[in-house]
Amino acid sequence: MSTLPPNACRLRVRYVKDGRLAYLGHLEVMQTVMRSVRRSGVPFEVGNGFARRMRIQFSQALPVGASSRGEYYDLLLSDPLDEQEALEALRLASPKALAPNAAMLLPRRVPALEAWADFSRWKVCVRGLSMDAEEFAARVQELREQDVLRFMRGEKERSISLAQTLVSCEASDVANGIDLVLQTRHSSQGSLRPAVLVNAVCGVAPLRVCRMGQWHLADDGYLIDPMTRGE
Amino acid sequence: MRLAREDRFGDIEPLLGLVEKPSRYLDHEWGVCEDQDGPFHTCLIYADVYEVGQPNLGLAILYDELNAQQGFSCERAYLPWVDMADLMREHGVPMLSLETSSPVASFDIVGFTLAHELVCTNVLEALDLAGIALRSDERDEDDPLVIAGGPSAWNCEPLAPALDAVLLGDGEGALVEMARCVRDARDEGLSRGQILLRLAQLDGVYVPSLYDVVVDKTSTRWGYAVPKEGTGAPAMVRKHCIPDLASTDPAVQRIVPYMSVVQDRFAVEVLRGCARGCRFCQAGMTYRPVRERPFEQVVPAVREGLRTSGFDECALTSLSTTDHSQCARMVRTLNEELASAGVRVSIPSQRLDSFGVEMATAVGSSRKAGLTFAPEAGSQRLRDVINKNVTERDLEFAVTNAFKSGYRRMKLYFMMGLPTETDEDLLGIPRLAEDVLRMGREILGPRAKVSVSISVAVFVPKCHTPFQWAGQLPLEEVHRRQQLMLHAATDRALRVSYHGSWPSLVEGVLSKMGRAGFDLILAAWRLGCRFDAWSDQFDFDAWNQAAAEVGLNLEDVACETFDLEARLPWDHTSPGVSKGYLQREWRRAMSAEVTPDCTFTSCTGCGVCPSLGVSNVLAGERA
Ligand code: SF4
Repeated sequence: MSTLPPNACRLRVRYVKDGRLAYLGHLEVMQTVMRSVRRSGVPFEVGNGFARRMRIQFSQALPVGASSRGEYYDLLLSDPLDEQEALEALRLASPKALAPNAAMLLPRRVPALEAWADFSRWKVCVRGLSMDAEEFAARVQELREQDVLRFMRGEKERSISLAQTLVSCEASDVANGIDLVLQTRHSSQGSLRPAVLVNAVCGVAPLRVCRMGQWHLADDGYLIDPMTRGE
Repeated sequence: MRLAREDRFGDIEPLLGLVEKPSRYLDHEWGVCEDQDGPFHTCLIYADVYEVGQPNLGLAILYDELNAQQGFSCERAYLPWVDMADLMREHGVPMLSLETSSPVASFDIVGFTLAHELVCTNVLEALDLAGIALRSDERDEDDPLVIAGGPSAWNCEPLAPALDAVLLGDGEGALVEMARCVRDARDEGLSRGQILLRLAQLDGVYVPSLYDVVVDKTSTRWGYAVPKEGTGAPAMVRKHCIPDLASTDPAVQRIVPYMSVVQDRFAVEVLRGCARGCRFCQAGMTYRPVRERPFEQVVPAVREGLRTSGFDECALTSLSTTDHSQCARMVRTLNEELASAGVRVSIPSQRLDSFGVEMATAVGSSRKAGLTFAPEAGSQRLRDVINKNVTERDLEFAVTNAFKSGYRRMKLYFMMGLPTETDEDLLGIPRLAEDVLRMGREILGPRAKVSVSISVAVFVPKCHTPFQWAGQLPLEEVHRRQQLMLHAATDRALRVSYHGSWPSLVEGVLSKMGRAGFDLILAAWRLGCRFDAWSDQFDFDAWNQAAAEVGLNLEDVACETFDLEARLPWDHTSPGVSKGYLQREWRRAMSAEVTPDCTFTSCTGCGVCPSLGVSNVLAGERA
């Protein structure tokens, strides 16, 4: 505990979203995490409003159907405790497919997680396609040049700037489709969902989406891992 | 045909991305029973979507009990929503259980909760999606036994041809007995027919196929059921009744859903039964006697349940929680203990007096959402007819208290079409609501934003109640009376809403008919009716067409009154309340005489206690 900041009462937790629980929506994940926290016995702070909610913040919403190797939440603690003990208690109280795998104490005041962790890397497996990786990449390039991508969400038309949100897209051929590694960045307009890009390139195709990790993109271009303790 | 028991999650997984709410089909929630080795397998089905069925406490009790038995296992299934059901049919995927994703048609017993009458087409939809023959007499020797129970099992005759056996009354102990009986009989190599004979010998178990329906001049046109000769089936099946709620596990709700469900909280049943004696209320008659769970059991159960589930709300549930002799103590103790952890305590029904308001305030009901009261009728005379023992003064007291505690919105629930109702009674509804508004403005000042909403449902006569002989109001008359009230409600702070009159009519039909109702349900389901309790799915035209196909008119059926002496389609089943008592209550209703609550006064002779050998169990003095 010697490396802890003096007023460490914020617990940052990294967890996965896996297996069939990939189909949970963001609200369902938040609800489940909060119940896991309550079950774990980790002492959390409660807000003062009428509803007296748990003081917790989550990283960016993951689309329904996407799995993840690195989701985060920040929990304000009402009493200090050892981060490894907290991790173990949380792990025992969480569904396996949403299990936490790292925890770190931070100072009370840090930037809000959702806006701060603005950079994501994705692995996307697209199957049953008639185009190869090269064609796919060329088509992505065309879309980038047009910048604004229009798409439908439910009944509504939306648009997003690829220049602002798509950092890179690498495609490679595999047995019966292509695999993509996408890097995206959250902008004031929102985030680019991998499925939106894939649909724009090749229509609706069976795909599997996994967020490999999230970072903060610093002004100098470096990626900062949310689990870095700072100075 | 019995399907093979195998994990078929792989069959629905590709469909998850295509449906509205995939989390309905995921299972693996916190608290599920993962050990499903059996070897005797049961599957309990709530024939509505997951978020409606999952919070059901009855199902949780039985799930827990069966899974605790050596050699038995129990899984859950909910009816897939229409998008998923259609996809499953398209891809040839049968209805699956949640825990192991096994075909429902692979189980030994499949049990349905009959939560209300409008669930009938959903039962057929579930059986069909599962690939189980709809009629009991068309099932193969090794097909699952299809059983049912729950609050609406009291007139299960319209569904009877689909059911192999029905459990009446409390499920505790009884379902396990049924499962044992079936397992032993199968081990002995008995035939399906022989198994049913055995089941019919169990306490509270009704086996429809062992009864003939006889129509004669002593009955209504729907006849009455008599046991077939040589079957040994009882002439009257009395409900199974546990004498003491305290002997059962209070903390049965172990499963914590991922998705938002209709009641997202940890619930403890604090009492069963209600003896207030409202004459329209089926639950009030069929769940007697009153059995309270003591404070010493409730409070630790809530603590433990919250700790292991992680819910941030707990509910003390029952038909009338505020009647519990220790209600105030339970609410205060839990509130004090839980508020600092951000946990809300809630109680469902609101008693229409100052104690009701005190409790609502104690549980911190949202001032914004307002308070809900159910006077049920607009005049004192009609409230006496229905035995809603509430006076104008009670209401005045309650409302005054509520406004003084800072509430500005009131919701008032009423019924329309109650026996003996006149226009004058109905006009009493907006009048009463306006009185409430006036009181609010007097207390909070003329500028305060006080609002009152009144919600008016159509009265549906239910079996085993003193009003079981009554006819329902014809549609045209419902609509006329709705207009009458709308015109009388002139204050703009008054909002009037009506429950659908068309679904109520179908509910009335299914509540009245005997076994002949099955052909109607079947015809409606074949015309696409399912999820009839969902207003966006309910199709009145299809129901009318179905009625025409089987030579019926829905209004004729629902609006028919029965002779007080006639033998009724459900007379062979009994919740313990005697028919003589119900007839007496009907007569008292006609002369607007009230009958007191036996838990506050003395026995009023409903018959439950002597006939079932039970009695009211109170944890303290009721006040
Ligand atoms: S038999 Fe008497 S005491 Fe028992 S529930 Fe009926 S009225 Fe009450």
